[in-house]
Amino acid sequence: MTSRRDFLKVAGAGAGLVLGFHLEAKPRPGETAKTVFHPNAFLAIRPDGTAQVTVPKTEMGQGVRTALPLAVAEELDLDWSKVEVVTGQPGPDFKSMQTGGSTSVSTTWTPLRKAGAAAREMLKAAAAARWKVEAAQCRTEKGFVLGPDGKKLGYGDLAEAAAKLPVPKDAPLKKAADYRLVGKRTPRFDGPAIVTGKAIFGLDVRRPGQRFAAVLRCAVIGGQPKAWDEAKAKAVQGVKAVVKVPTGLAVIADSTWAAFKGRDALAATTTWEEGAARDFSSPALEAKMRAALTGPADDARREGDPAKALAAAAKVLEAEYSFPYQAHATVEPMNATTALSEGAAEMWMGSQSPNRAQERAATALGLKPEQLKLNVALIGGGFGRRLGTDFSTEAAQVAQAAGGGPIQVVWDREDDLRHDLHHPATLHRLKAGIDGAGALAAWTHRIAGPAVLRSWTGGQKAPSQAATETNGAYDIPYAIPAVAVDFAEVEAPTPLGWWRGIQIVPNVFARECFLDEVAHALGKDPLRFRLDLLGDRGIVKFGRDEADIRRLKKVLEVAATKAGWGRKLPAGHGLGLACHAYDGRTYAAEVAEVSVVKGRLKVHKVTCAVDCGLAVNPAGLEAQVEGGIAFGLSALFSQITWEKGRTVQTGYHDFPVLRLADMPVVETHVIPSAEAPSGMGEPPVPVAIPAVLNAVFAATEKRIRKVPIEDGLI
Amino acid sequence: MPAYQLTVNGRARTVDADADTPLLWVLRDTLGLTGTKFGCGQGVCGACTVHLDGKAVKSCQTSLKEATGHAVVTVEGLSKDGSHPVQKAWIAEDVAQCGYCQPGMIMSAAALLKRKAHPSDHDIDEAFADHVCRCGTYPRIRKAVKRAAGGVK
Ligand code: FES
Ligand code: FES
Repeated sequence: MTSRRDFLKVAGAGAGLVLGFHLEAKPRPGETAKTVFHPNAFLAIRPDGTAQVTVPKTEMGQGVRTALPLAVAEELDLDWSKVEVVTGQPGPDFKSMQTGGSTSVSTTWTPLRKAGAAAREMLKAAAAARWKVEAAQCRTEKGFVLGPDGKKLGYGDLAEAAAKLPVPKDAPLKKAADYRLVGKRTPRFDGPAIVTGKAIFGLDVRRPGQRFAAVLRCAVIGGQPKAWDEAKAKAVQGVKAVVKVPTGLAVIADSTWAAFKGRDALAATTTWEEGAARDFSSPALEAKMRAALTGPADDARREGDPAKALAAAAKVLEAEYSFPYQAHATVEPMNATTALSEGAAEMWMGSQSPNRAQERAATALGLKPEQLKLNVALIGGGFGRRLGTDFSTEAAQVAQAAGGGPIQVVWDREDDLRHDLHHPATLHRLKAGIDGAGALAAWTHRIAGPAVLRSWTGGQKAPSQAATETNGAYDIPYAIPAVAVDFAEVEAPTPLGWWRGIQIVPNVFARECFLDEVAHALGKDPLRFRLDLLGDRGIVKFGRDEADIRRLKKVLEVAATKAGWGRKLPAGHGLGLACHAYDGRTYAAEVAEVSVVKGRLKVHKVTCAVDCGLAVNPAGLEAQVEGGIAFGLSALFSQITWEKGRTVQTGYHDFPVLRLADMPVVETHVIPSAEAPSGMGEPPVPVAIPAVLNAVFAATEKRIRKVPIEDGLI
Repeated sequence: MPAYQLTVNGRARTVDADADTPLLWVLRDTLGLTGTKFGCGQGVCGACTVHLDGKAVKSCQTSLKEATGHAVVTVEGLSKDGSHPVQKAWIAEDVAQCGYCQPGMIMSAAALLKRKAHPSDHDIDEAFADHVCRCGTYPRIRKAVKRAAGGVK
């Protein structure tokens, strides 16, 4: 944790931003800087007793603006009704606000608790000094310090005195048994603002004199405008200017609608240099991926001698699985607002990578990062899309080309689907060798497709590429004597990005469905088969991760029991299951109950058991399970396909997202745990797809190996 | 450009804009009411849902001209202080995740309950058929609608 002193030292180096940061806790009327207790970057206590908690991560619906302040409030014994939450700004205090990989709670849990504990000790010391007693005679409760003989002072009354005290380095942390807020169901902090329309998302930012811009981009990846007639755009009422930017042509107008209309008018006059990607198509990529299933590849895991074990096997099963390109399709389209002034810039946006966005936009503007103040708005859906900085850098460039702003660049739905940072397609070939005794002796899983990691490493091939691209496959948790998992990279010109559940979604889909095939081929119950293969093992190491097999077995058993695994089902119904240890940190198992009637699939219920260590906010955790399952089920029917270098899909009409009527009942069982909390944003997603498809097999004996499910297949 | 008159959240407003301007952008850009959201502009996500004379409509598919002379209510005007039974039920069920789709959902829920005090599951399915929540808050939306229905009677 950055202590107040460290912070001041850092501050000396680059005074510009410190002010920016202090604005967050700036004195209100009637307060002075001296009366606000601001012991660290996370916390400020005002004389009226309100506590402002600054969250070092971005809220995108996963509940960090509730769960993270809970950690501070718990240690500090705050009155939750007096907590105000603000989101931090990238800069010296918040050097890594990156929000992704289901890591927000696990990485901030300890620093935030320490920040709260340090403040608690300072308030106690301030009260003890005032009462002339020992700090050890004082305790805290709901915003008050309580002393001997019924003495009682509110935090607000002590704020000024506490602010003068040194920040203790090792304030004691509470025992879990003493938690008052953590582990209880706490509703979302932003709920009231959301239901009244007051919550401000990036697209809701309104600055004085603000204009709006739409960018006309080539539908073909990497294409550029060759010739255009601005007059047509300028003829539209409200359009002010047309400017060239690296991504295309920006139409600046005094309303979003005028910008869209101007952009459409401009499009009708524009001819394109489509560039090298113009021949790219999904069938061509699929052919390359299929070839790569048998070519050279990079090992992610190799144990035993899989080739020999397969050759010696009494029986070899083999199958090919396929998963398509996917889009994020956040309901709030990409947008960012920029205002430039002499040697400085300010931006407003929803970003999962505020520090990267700041750095890159500043670079594009010829500024230093500290000259660009970036305000993080609420995010209308992230799912990995807003880890990208393409839209924020573009918005900065538009403002610069248009002479300063403030300008809000707004993407429409078609922009959003066409110019997403898509999650790439993969083909999978799996083989299982069964020995003479009927045991699973060998397992090989080859994955072919474009590498997402390159989108994060500036196009470089990172040493961890094979492990990253086979995540969910290389860490197959079952005890199998010979295992080979490898990745054959196939080039594609499409910009890529992380997606909720990352590569684990396609990889666990292939792995858990194929394992189901093996179980059925051996005449074994899929639950029993998995439990036997997990065996009596403890912590098992797979390359860079390790997983506790006992915790995985536990979620599997709980999900199966609660779902009534093995019970008699109505005709046409089936149960299917899947499990995974997500990055070895969060354990999830799901059992799906489906029916297939006249070829129509209905998912009735998904029973989920999760172990993510200590559940900081069970209400938020269950919401993540429900949302994760919805996200996974959506992927059963959606895909992005490519034709002539452009996406075929242009909206929710051809990239369908699960609707309310198709949402199954979700029952969540959280395994009580004292382990450190881990993440829950992504882990429910990957298991949902194989659980449902295994249930489809149970109901119909049809094995679906390709997502999306094709019409008429079941 | 002619000026158009409409009532928004009980207040008479005069708007100078093209007749074909979608009500959505009149609300958001001209009147500064950003509670109504833009999700698709194609009529298929429901994020822009408002009430026109008490009925749920998609404001991205309703032109300024069509709204002229009618009463428009947005999420900001549903209640003064978040006390509409639907808003209260939404808080009680802790529905929102990112929250972006929620104003549209809430407006559809309020219109449904006005039309049908005790909607069946099927009624709820139909009322939200044109809505997208990418965060997957659907189970809680269903619960919140039922809770609000119990509350209004
Ligand atoms: S924005 Fe109107 S339906 Fe999507
Ligand atoms: S709550 Fe995020 S889209 Fe519905």
